[in-house]
Amino acid sequence: MKPFSEMRDEELAAALRSLRPEPSPAFAAELDQRAAAGFPRRSPQGARNPFARFLAWLRNGSMMRLLIPAGGVAVAAIAVATVMVAGSNSGSADSEVATSAESVEMSGSESTAVGGSADLAPLTKQAAPEAAAGAEAEAEEAIESSSIQVEPHGFKGAGNGGAAVTAPHRDVERASQITIGTKPGEVGEASSEVFETVHRYDGIVLNSSTQNGSGTQAEANFELLIPSGKVGDAMAAFSRIGEVVNRHETTTDITAPTVGAGERLQDSQARVEGLLAQLSEATSDTEREVVEAELASERRHAANLKAKLSNLHRRANLSHVSVRIVSGKGALSPGGSDKDESWGIGSALDDAGHLLSVAAGVTIVALAVLAPLLLLLVLAWLAGRAWTRRARERALT
Amino acid sequence: MMDAAWRRSTRMSQAGALLATPTEKPREADLAFDDLYRSSRDDVYAYVAGLLRDAAAAEEVTAIAFERAYRKRSRFDRRRGEPRAWLFGIARNAALDELRRRGRQAELAAEPEDLAAVPAVESAEQSERRLALNAGLATLAPRDRELIALKFFAGLANAEIATVLGISESNAGTRLHRALTKLREACDEAL
Repeated sequence: MKPFSEMRDEELAAALRSLRPEPSPAFAAELDQRAAAGFPRRSPQGARNPFARFLAWLRNGSMMRLLIPAGGVAVAAIAVATVMVAGSNSGSADSEVATSAESVEMSGSESTAVGGSADLAPLTKQAAPEAAAGAEAEAEEAIESSSIQVEPHGFKGAGNGGAAVTAPHRDVERASQITIGTKPGEVGEASSEVFETVHRYDGIVLNSSTQNGSGTQAEANFELLIPSGKVGDAMAAFSRIGEVVNRHETTTDITAPTVGAGERLQDSQARVEGLLAQLSEATSDTEREVVEAELASERRHAANLKAKLSNLHRRANLSHVSVRIVSGKGALSPGGSDKDESWGIGSALDDAGHLLSVAAGVTIVALAVLAPLLLLLVLAWLAGRAWTRRARERALT
Repeated sequence: MMDAAWRRSTRMSQAGALLATPTEKPREADLAFDDLYRSSRDDVYAYVAGLLRDAAAAEEVTAIAFERAYRKRSRFDRRRGEPRAWLFGIARNAALDELRRRGRQAELAAEPEDLAAVPAVESAEQSERRLALNAGLATLAPRDRELIALKFFAGLANAEIATVLGISESNAGTRLHRALTKLREACDEAL
């Protein structure tokens, strides 16, 4: 018999083709039957297991079959989230507008506190020591020794104990801005209440302006100085005048410059006393003239320091408050006291725009959350495919 | 087959909605798949059986392959290859999955009688040659046996083999030549 290595290719091919496996008639008939029936799904192994059934459904399902319910669920989730966000934005407008816009910044010590309370005294008490902890540690001794010099005078502690501003060893400068919304016809009345409040809390009106206008755009502005110890109560009183549209409060720790100025003033006063002693002991006119010149110079220096210290004390004792009263469109929230205005097409468009913007925001947030997840899923799917392909190839080796 | 599918879809439409009318026709994809099934049934079985060397497993895998292909028939893209190559790609994946599942890498106890019908009249030399060829095939690596099965059992052209395996046509030809050389050596040793 001719060896296979000597066989021609055609002979070998014919020999191989003669070995071609043929399906059994029974199998061929069964497969034809299944083909005629459109290959009905055979119950997979473990089909009684709901999880296995779900996996089989996922594997066999077309993209459309999966995308339609997934899209429905996504739209429903966005709708629910939009309703929740929009509802929470419009509800309890009074308190939320006031608290959301309120912030207290501790400049000079890089400390920031945010709170919703109208009374700032607790904030100052908490924030000031924390703010001073780092930068002012080295000045602690000086502060203690000069506490008498920075003892408030004038408005300080007048009738309220001075707890808000004169917390031990700290001088804090405050500035506050508040915007109050009222109805157009009530700006004058609100302005009167501002004046009353300023008077009640021993404040000073630096300047004020009121614009009545056409009635829909009336506005009033006030620049005030309020004793720092009472500014919390005053701000609370301003908040009660109308609806708080915006409120911003800033505090700056000025303890270090105050203490420094006080120390330099002490030194200067000591030098003045020393020069006076020298002057009394001067024996010649020339010596007397020299000492008098030094004395005059030192007294000018002391006067400057005293003025500077006084200015610092005033900044600590009197808080600058800007009050703005606005009316007209946008001054009142939908849930505010503007209920007598009719709700029309414009309002409906505003609401629709608001709703759409909230929905867009929710969608963006959802995408921000889902995008990394989808990316991970895609990567996992690609890795799974690559692994399966390699595993299949390994089966041949 | 497609008539049955048409009847079934019509039945489903009638059951699902009263407005359905029996005017739906078998889709083009269904008709094309019907042709593909008729022309490839035995070839797919021959390839799978040649690779797995197990008649029962080959029947199961062939059925799975056609089932998968039927489910994916609407996703077939002619630009990516011929339908026959696409079908054999599916069959190959199913066969390799079977190999992986059983963890025996195509080294099953070969039952040549199961795979190839023994001619009723056969000379001693022919019988000896057939046995040697079967023994040679059994000793070949599955990768080589797959090439031979695709070429001589399924009757695929080199270009189709290249598409199925994801290699170039010239590479397919080279591999096939090497596989045949190994087969010749293995058969000579078996003689």
